[in-house]
Amino acid sequence: MKKLIELDINDRIYEVAIDARDLLIDVIRNKVGLTGSKKGCGDGDCGACTVLIDGKPELSCIKLAIASQGKKITTIEGLVQEGGQLHPIQQAYVDHGAVQCGFCTPGMILSSKALLDRNPDPTEHYIKHELSGNICRCTGYKRIIEAVEAAAKVWSKEGVQ
Amino acid sequence: MFLNHFEYFAPKTPAETLELVACLGSKAKILAGGTDLMVVMKAKAISPDYLIDINGVEEFKGIFCEQGKGAVIGTNTKLAEIQFSEAIQAKYPALAYAAGEVGSSQVRQMASLGGNSCNASPAAETPTPLVAMDAKVVLSSILGERELPLEEFILGVRVLDLAEGEMLTKFVLPEPKLKSACRYAYMGRRDAMEIDCVNMAVTIELEDDGEKVKNIKLVMGSVYPRPLVSKEVTALLVGQKLSDQLIEKAAEAAQGEAKPIDDIRASAEYRREIVKVLARRLIKEAYTDAKGV
Repeated sequence: MKKLIELDINDRIYEVAIDARDLLIDVIRNKVGLTGSKKGCGDGDCGACTVLIDGKPELSCIKLAIASQGKKITTIEGLVQEGGQLHPIQQAYVDHGAVQCGFCTPGMILSSKALLDRNPDPTEHYIKHELSGNICRCTGYKRIIEAVEAAAKVWSKEGVQ
Repeated sequence: MFLNHFEYFAPKTPAETLELVACLGSKAKILAGGTDLMVVMKAKAISPDYLIDINGVEEFKGIFCEQGKGAVIGTNTKLAEIQFSEAIQAKYPALAYAAGEVGSSQVRQMASLGGNSCNASPAAETPTPLVAMDAKVVLSSILGERELPLEEFILGVRVLDLAEGEMLTKFVLPEPKLKSACRYAYMGRRDAMEIDCVNMAVTIELEDDGEKVKNIKLVMGSVYPRPLVSKEVTALLVGQKLSDQLIEKAAEAAQGEAKPIDDIRASAEYRREIVKVLARRLIKEAYTDAKGV
């Protein structure tokens, strides 16, 4: 039986008709139409579907949409700044060539944001540890880690949120 | 991949939850983090008729740590919260460390401490240090509560001492003894997103002289259907002042007790070797820690 629920995605309320078994990733992509979040493995292993729920990274491919009501969901589309500017962490990824095919990038950037929100002055080990749930099969991780380190500098200077 | 059709409940209080658990029984599954449940449901390994989502129940979350009184941890406390909790890091560093090594940052944000035990996977990270710390679980139903040691709660692969209508609601951790230390370590293919091929925790408590072992508990994970508490290590080392030879003997005894299997992650032979390596390392580390040097 379909049920009408409200989801708060990127500070906008979407009313969607869902089934209890619908997964958050499918609702975000297919019903809401925000296709930035990717569905990779579908088993919670690869991190491509990462979204922030109340600021914390979660895996939307193993999360029920119905269990996400009343929470603030942030997808990669929600990071856009005023005037369509890139978020500093997105800019750092571009500047450091940390993007190749781009499939892992939305999840990778949201995990990076969550780790910098928790710790704006991370060690390389901390970055690796907290990004270990996002798998990249193209560039390797060196440039991604460099991008996060560069973004951390902006973070501590400007107090980005 | 689609999940089966099920009816979804989101209770707001422990009483409502226990009422649902009592009514729906084994046809229902409790949804906490879902990092194990959703994956097995997607694989159609299980197809429950009802899901009881306990994330709206505040009473099932949180860490209550009081000076001198151990700690109480709600069943749906997320592993990330335990990883980053200053109180847990200070009092139970082995648990904070083990929680921080589960899955990935996303998994730790979703997965709960209760789920990690209730999933009853032999390779689970947190039951090993919890058993080494003598943690107890509180099982609740509409009829009341009972408390039992975690090592008696997990009976085997996916098997729990949980009666129909009961659910795990909290963990009770005793205050660490004076002159004691607990250490945890694991071995797997890599650091990220792996499942341990062996994990282990050791708690050592020293006599007042700060040299002789008053008590030692060595717990092995992933080498037995449930967390395996070594009897021989305790028998060998209690009352002793530890030396390298004695530690070597104890490590070999632990190796003899482990009953690992061959699987995709490691061979039984390799696991047995690793038991010895980790036992040797952890006994030494915990001993040094307990001595406070």
